[in-house]
Order: sequence, then C-alpha cells, then structure tokens
Amino acid sequence: MGRSATTKDAQALFHSLRSAYAATPNNLKIIDLYIVFAVVTAVIQVVYMAIVGSFPFNSFLSGVLSCVGTAVLAVSLRIQVNKENKEFKDLPPERAFADFVLCNLVLHLVIMNFLG
Amino acid sequence: MAGLKSPTLYFFLLNLISLLPLLAFSFSPDHPTDRRILVLLDDLSLKSSHSLFFSSLQSRGFDLDFKLANDPAVAVKRYGEYLYDGLILFSPSIERFGGSLDMGGVLDFVDSGHDLILAADSNASDLIRNIAAECGVDFDEDPSAVVIDHTSYAVSETEGEHTLIAADDFIQSDVILGSKKIEAPVLFEGIAHSMNPGNSLVLKVLSASSSSYSANPTSKLSSPPSLSGTAISLVSVVQARNNARIMISGSLEMFGNRLFRSGVQKSGSLHKYEKSGNEQFITELSKWIFHERGHLKAVHVKHNKVGETEEPPIYRINDDLEFSVEVFEWSGSSWVPYVANDVQVQFYMMSPYVLKTLSTNQKGLYHTSFKVPDVYGVFQFKVEYQRLGYTSISLAKQIPVRPFRHNEYERFITTAFPYYGASFSTMAGFFIFSIIYLYNK
Repeated sequence: MGRSATTKDAQALFHSLRSAYAATPNNLKIIDLYIVFAVVTAVIQVVYMAIVGSFPFNSFLSGVLSCVGTAVLAVSLRIQVNKENKEFKDLPPERAFADFVLCNLVLHLVIMNFLG
Repeated sequence: MAGLKSPTLYFFLLNLISLLPLLAFSFSPDHPTDRRILVLLDDLSLKSSHSLFFSSLQSRGFDLDFKLANDPAVAVKRYGEYLYDGLILFSPSIERFGGSLDMGGVLDFVDSGHDLILAADSNASDLIRNIAAECGVDFDEDPSAVVIDHTSYAVSETEGEHTLIAADDFIQSDVILGSKKIEAPVLFEGIAHSMNPGNSLVLKVLSASSSSYSANPTSKLSSPPSLSGTAISLVSVVQARNNARIMISGSLEMFGNRLFRSGVQKSGSLHKYEKSGNEQFITELSKWIFHERGHLKAVHVKHNKVGETEEPPIYRINDDLEFSVEVFEWSGSSWVPYVANDVQVQFYMMSPYVLKTLSTNQKGLYHTSFKVPDVYGVFQFKVEYQRLGYTSISLAKQIPVRPFRHNEYERFITTAFPYYGASFSTMAGFFIFSIIYLYNK
C-alpha cells in the first residue's frame, strides 16, 4: 500500500513538473537545451580522461572549462532574462545577451590559449 | 765551363738533402714493424750458434746490433730518445748489464711501447728473473730446477734425464703462430715459469704437458714439486696495454741452430719428424712480437645524421644517425683492410645505451646506423676491441645530445583530440545558440 503510494506520488510529482515546465517560455527552453548540451559534453570528457589518463592535462582542463564555462554563462543569461525573476525586472534582455556574448568571447579566447 | 757546372752541382746536392728524411726510417705509427733491434748476448759465440734465428730476422729487414750484455757501451736511450725499437735479451746469466741499462731501464723500454724477447735457461740470474717477474711471468724459484717430463721427452740416443722435452701444446691463435699449423713438436730444454691466472695480459703460447714438472734432475725429490703439469708454461707472451709485446722463454737453446735442425721424436709416439717445429715456431712468433702481424689501427671515425654528410656538433634525442670507422691490419709491409664480424660500437654515457655490431664492406669499412636514445647528455662513441693476439683498439669520440626545442614537439597530441573537439563544439554551439535565440519568434 505504502509503496504504490510513493510511486504514485513520484509519478504525480513528475507529471506536475512536466506540466509546469511546459509553461515556460520558448527562449528559456532553448537556453536549457544549450546547458544540457554543455554538461553532457563535459561528462563525456571526464569519462574519456578516466579511461585514457590525464596526459595532456592542460588540454583536458581547457576542454572541461569550455563546457563548464558556457554552462555557467548560459545559466546567468537565463537568470537575467527570466521575466518571473523580480531582481532583474529593470534589466533589458538585450543588455543581458550582450554581456553573455562578450563573456563567451573572453572564455573562448582563454580556452584556445590553454588548449596547447 | 765552371760557371755552367756549379749551378748543376748545387742543385744536385740540394736534391740529395731532400732524401735525408729517409735515413730516419724507423718505427712509427704508420709503419709499426720494428726496425732496429738490440741483441744482448752473454757470449759472442751465440752469434754463430743461433745464426739461423738471427739471419732470418735480418732477412726480414731488421737491423740487429749485437753487444755483449756487460759491454759498457750498452745503452737503449740517449738524450731521452730510444735508439732501438726492440730488445732481445739472450743473456740469461748476466747479473748486471753494462753501460747505462738496468732493470728499470728495460722496463721503461717496454713501457714506452717497445718489444722484448727474453730467454732464460737453467743458470738464469736474479736480474733476468726479476725482469720476467715485472712482466707478469714467474720463473721457478729453485735455481737448479729445470723442466722434466718423463712421458713427453724427445727421444735421443742417450738416455738423459728427460730434460729435453718435445712440446706440442700450442695456443690456438692464427695471429700469433701463423696460419700454417706447426706439425712437428718443439724441442725445449730449460726452466719452467708460471703466471697468475687472473692476469689477462699474459698468454701461454707453449705449455708443458700435464705430466711435466719442474725439479732438479740430479737430486731426489723430497716433496712434490711446486710447479707441475699444465700450469708450467714453456713460452709465454705478454701484450701490454700500450701494445708492447714481450716474449719470455725458459730456454735459450730453443732458439739455437742445434735444435732448429734436429729431428724430433716424441716419446710414446712412433712418428719421427725430420725437422723439429722450432724454426717455424720461433719465426712465426718473432713476426708477431715485432709487430709484423696482428697490429690493428682504427682510423676515420665518422658520424652524421642519416641523409647528411657533415658531422654535426650536437645531436638531438630520437635522431637517426650513421657511424663508420675503418680498421686496417699491418701485413708487415702495408696496411690491409681488417675483416671481422665482431667489431662493436657503443653509444655510451656511464653505461652503453646502444651497443651495435658493425657491418663491414669487406674492405675495412665498418658502419652501422641507429636511433639516438631518448636521453640527453654528453655521450661517447666507443669502439673497444680486444681480441687474442691483436692490438687493442680503444676509440672514444664525444658528442653531446640535446632534448627537443620547444617548437620540435609534435604540434597536436592525438590523445587530446576529444578535448580539441569539445572546445570547438562549444564554440560552434554558442554560435548556433545565439542565432536561434535571437531569431526565435
């Protein structure tokens, strides 16, 4: 009885999350997809390093940093662009996107130099 | 008329002066065979009793200078220069040399690279024994002992004390004893000597048989003889590290005409040889002693990177390089190419990182190629060649090896390709994301 109740609760929770998520605006969903892509790439690189060894360690760090960095920048863009966020109510989303682009340029400059 | 003659005479005399260098023709690294030999004798009758030996030397071009050992004019060195290239001591009973020569002088003569033939017999003096001891050969301390062999003696009409022995236990070396096998045994009558088995420079050329011993033939033995069996050496040679060659024989008679011409029959064998092997043995051995055979030189050490001809001053790790050296052997009159398949080169720094056997083109050129090891430092190309009967070759050529310069490493590391791919994919992802984000309705 209890088990089926917890599974039913889990299913109910999952359904409510899905329906709530369906209500988010499209641009936020695009950002979320981008973040998932970055994190998956980082995980693939860590798994590869665990298999092969960390020989060109600087290359490994550079690769992982590029993924983690883009994920972090995308998250901050999402925070700033989200209309439900009271903190950034007065911030124009264009300004947030411009910051995002500039930070990404700096990030990619750094990883290209550190890649070796 | 006089005016015409004197210039021509003048030029003729000038031309004669240009021939003067030929008068100084003697031992030199280009011509290793000795030329001038001092022969010290106890007794001038040795000149005639050993005339076959001396005339064979003279017919090979040696310049023999006979002197009595106690002649006050005996000198091997004058004003710091040696007058002779070789020394033959046929003076077993001499207590003190005449002139300025003494044991130290003889040893200095050998130390400076010159050759020596020393013959002792049953009345060998302390001086001769000491010279032999300094050369690594110990004569039997008992002054009355001679080599006796009751199963290997030379059969003769008189039943002697079996002190004239017929020996045929030769060292196996074509370089030392010549390529023609010595068929007849060698007749020997004299004293025994032995050597330290740990000494690698002394070789037994003629050993006594295992039934021989060294004792006084006229007295009864009270205890076993100290020297017996194959530990007794009848004729030994020493090749010093500076390639000086010394022959020490316990018998002076062995060099004499009587034993050269005599027939020999070894006891216990029915075969009677018309002529003993003494003449062939002594002649071939004297050729080796005076550097007419078995003298090697290694010249023209060359190394370069594969594909280049110049010798670089420094190599880099993991370079491919080629090494070559030419080895010649002195044939008595000219240098001929030395052919062997066991000359090796080491690429050495504290220990050999590379050891390769050189391949030869049969004309004296030895070459090989190898990869420089992955270690940097100062290396040496070392050719160390020591073979029985040949002079030793010891060449070392230093060459430094450097590590990679920072721009000589491989540009892209293959194991890091996934990281390169990930970085570029995030860049592409950023680009595509920004397009989609901006133009999304």
